[in-house]
Order: sequence, then structure tokens, then C-alpha cells
Amino acid sequence: MATPQNPPGAGGDVARPAEVSRRGFLTQGAAAAAGLAALAAALSPLRHLKEGDLPTAEEFLQKHYKEMSATERARVLARIQEQVRKRYGVTPQVNDPPPLDGVEFVYGLNISRCIGCRKCVHACVAENNPSRAPEIQYIRVLEMEKGSIDVETANHRYDASPVPRPDKWYMPVQCHQCANPPCVKVCPVEATWQEPDGITVIDYDWCIGCRYCEAACPYWARRFNFTEPQIQPDQLNPHLAYLSNRPRQKGVMEKCTFCLHRTRVGRLPACLEVCPTGSRKFGNVLDPSSEVHYILKYKRVFILKADVGTMPRFFYYFDERGSRYHDPLEGEGQATLGEGA
Amino acid sequence: MSFLRSFWVPLALLAGALVLVLDPVPFVSPVAHPVPVPDWATNTNPVRQPKLVPQYVVAGFTYQCSDCHRIIPSPRETQRRLTQHTEIELNHGLNTRCFNCHHPRNRDAFVDDFGEEIPWNQPQRLCGKCHGPVYRDWEHGSHGRLNGYWDAGRGPQLKRRCIECHDPHHPPFGSMTPAPGPDTLRMGPPLPPGHEGRRDPLRIYSTPASPVASH
Repeated sequence: MATPQNPPGAGGDVARPAEVSRRGFLTQGAAAAAGLAALAAALSPLRHLKEGDLPTAEEFLQKHYKEMSATERARVLARIQEQVRKRYGVTPQVNDPPPLDGVEFVYGLNISRCIGCRKCVHACVAENNPSRAPEIQYIRVLEMEKGSIDVETANHRYDASPVPRPDKWYMPVQCHQCANPPCVKVCPVEATWQEPDGITVIDYDWCIGCRYCEAACPYWARRFNFTEPQIQPDQLNPHLAYLSNRPRQKGVMEKCTFCLHRTRVGRLPACLEVCPTGSRKFGNVLDPSSEVHYILKYKRVFILKADVGTMPRFFYYFDERGSRYHDPLEGEGQATLGEGA
Repeated sequence: MSFLRSFWVPLALLAGALVLVLDPVPFVSPVAHPVPVPDWATNTNPVRQPKLVPQYVVAGFTYQCSDCHRIIPSPRETQRRLTQHTEIELNHGLNTRCFNCHHPRNRDAFVDDFGEEIPWNQPQRLCGKCHGPVYRDWEHGSHGRLNGYWDAGRGPQLKRRCIECHDPHHPPFGSMTPAPGPDTLRMGPPLPPGHEGRRDPLRIYSTPASPVASH
């Protein structure tokens, strides 16, 4: 780059300003080359771009879910089906079940029966296609000291076996599908809203990933995809719905939707079906013969963080006398046996 | 010296460009590996699978209960341990008599409060004799398990019966091994497997005081 010969004197350069000196040419050329190389290097991460990393024109111009016509919606569902087929090698069913008339979903959870086995957590993961690495789970099971309800010091990470431990009780927490949802209020782009059946949903294609809703939720029920979600093809649940369990992309929020792809066709949510103790109850609260209607009418019910005014559709209840899993039944039985009848 | 003075900016830029292009320090994702989930964690079957028929299997042969009990009468009341059915350990609180539940004359049925027979496939009527509030809650659905459809008009509902969760001879619901705990970004252990000693930018919310779980 540099020349070994001594250049002409500086005075000569000043005398002939219009001409390009050898030194000036080399300096500017080297700087330009370095600048170009640096620009190329700065752009070099673009080499790692794969097909599908950038949105297609169709995706980019896609309308908000509520503004789509029926034909546009069908086209979007077909596109999602094709994308999932290409990425995971399985052809999914992509549906968009509408909310049912005269139905408002409510969840009940019997905390005197829950034993903290975490089966609901994993059934939810298997059903809703969240990322496996990093792990995203909608349900958190809190382990708390008996006699307290201090969620700040509750423990997620208990792994003592077996559960339930006699001096603890367990409270699963997931999206409460509030009637007055703070997460919907803070969304700057209206990517999340409350449906007529009470389920708060997210349009993953409209979400900008600002995470305001995550900060607004008092139940810590929303999850963010920090990286591209990783799901093995054999783990993918192929029964998809636009507003619930279709695979998400990097940089969007997701949350529990009461399994709307199941519940809007009459089925029970996955977390309920797997619960070994029957602690979980779900149904249409507007139907007077439903289980949740009975629970709200006759059981002692409480809601989590009632003071924040979110009016959840998720109710914890308990029985007149709690489960006796911790009572020493053996001793009682033998004592009465000895007394005779 | 003068050469370095006039060329250090382009040289530094070039060195930076080389580092960026060659990428000598590859990026290692701090994301933990997926935790294997056992199959039982997503199995929707109840904890017990009783047959709901009065059958007894001995040495590979299946008998109706009445096959034996028609010819071999059992004592009306017994305090001693059983000589047959030794696998049954009756541990049901105050309820220490076989014939509180089993019919004394027809061993293929249970007995109700009036001495009438309750079919073997309707154990809830038997349990309801004593467990009134729970039976009421079970009938209305606030106790017990339901599988299938919440809307009976759209599909079948499978209402689990008492003995699909409770052993009638030892009724408390048993304890279980919990399924794997969370390894999620803010709930997981402070350091993921394979990243011991590295500061993890995605886990800055985890409490530094908690001990490092190395697994």
C-alpha cells in the first residue's frame, strides 16, 4: 500500500493542487477499500439468511385478522399450512373455529385436590406447540407453604418426590382470560383482543413484540419468543388454529387460549383432560347445568389478585373439607379396629 | 511512524472487517437443551383401571366371585386377617367390615343401605352411602374427572367413576413423582446444562443467591 520511495517535496504538492499525488491516491484508495470491506463485513450476517426468514410480499401485506374477508382468511390458512408442511414435514389441519353463540368459557380449579404433579404443564406443551428450546410453558405450578398464599415466595422449581409434600399446597397459574384485561389495553397495535366467548387471543402475524402486554399482566401469563422456536417435527401437534396453537415465529408474544381449537368445537382443554385428580373444571358459565355454573353458585371460590380489578374467568375453589392425602389413615383405622364394633 | 499515523484508521477498519467476516469466535446460544418429557406426563388415562365386573384372577384363571362364594360361605363378621384375598389390605378408616360394601349373599354385587344389591359397575352408588357431599359434588361435576367433550351435545363425555381414582380398600389419592420442572427463561435453574461458569444474558432475572444447579 505504501511506497518505499521518497515522494516529491510537500512544496510541490501545494504548488500543483489540481494533480493527484501518489501518496494522496494511495491513502484515499486504501481508506475506500477498507470502508468497502467494513461495509461488506457489516452486511455479512445476511449470508446466514435462509429462505423464509424474510416475509414474502403476501405476508407483509396481510391484513389484521379482524379485517380479513373470508376468502383472504382461507388464503392465509392455506399459506400457514404450506409453511408448516415445508418446515416440519407434516401436513397440518389449519382451522379457524369461530366463537360459539351463547358461550362464555370459565375455568375452575380445585386447590384442595391439586397435588402439584405438573402433568397439566406438559399436556399443554404437547398440545399448543410452544418452543421446546428455549422452553416456553403457559402453566406455572406454584408450591406454597400451607396456611399462606404468598405468590412472591412461591416455588416453581420444586422437584422433591413424591408430591404432594404434606406441609405444602399447590396452585397452578395460567392465563386468567380476564374480563377486564390489562394486556389488551396496553397493546399499541391491537394485536391482542378479547373474543366474544371471553378468550383473549393474539394475532401472531400482527404482534410487533414490544412485550408491553407481558409487563401489564399481573398473572405473568404471557410468554415471549426470544429466539426462533424449536420444535421437533414428531412433537408438532398437527391440529392447528390461527388464533391458538399454530407455530409461532421469533419475536412474538404467546399465551394460553383455553385451547380454543379444542374448546370451540366442544372438547375439553388439554390441561384438564390430563389432570389425574380432577382438579380442573371447564365449561360454559352461561349454561345453568354446567359444572362451572355449579361451582360458582355453591362452592367457596376465590380469584387471584382480586384487588387489581382484572375480573378473571379463572376461579380457584375448594371443598368443605380438603383432600386428606396427608392424614395418617393407617393409625386411625387400626385404632378403631382394636376397640371392636 | 508517519505511515502508521496516516493509515491507522483504514487498518483498524480492515482488521474489524476481517474479524466480522472470518467469525473466529462463534456465537454460542445460551438456550438450554430441551428436557425430555416422560410419556406418562401427557397420558390422560386415570390412575386406576378397574374392571367394573365381579371377576377374580387366580393363577391365570378368571373366576366370577360367586363361583367360589356360592359353595364356600364366609363368616358374617371377621376380625382376623383374610386367608384368601391376602393382597387386599383394608385401610378405609372406620369402615373395617367387608359386608359394609360387599353383599353378604350375592358376592357379584355390592350392598346398599337396605340390603338390596348394587351392580358391580355402579360403584358410585355404593360410595355415596357414606360420602354424601362428595357424591353430590361428583354428580354436579365439581369432584372427579371428565374426559372428552365439555358440551355433551357435540361429543361423548366420559365421566370417571370413584374407583378409577381411589382404591376402595385404601381410598386416599396416592402421591406421585412430579413431571420435570420448568427450565424456562425466567423460571428455570440459574445456569443451563453445558454453560457452567458462563454468564447468561437471558437469565439476568434469576436470583444470584440461589445455588447453581448442575445437572
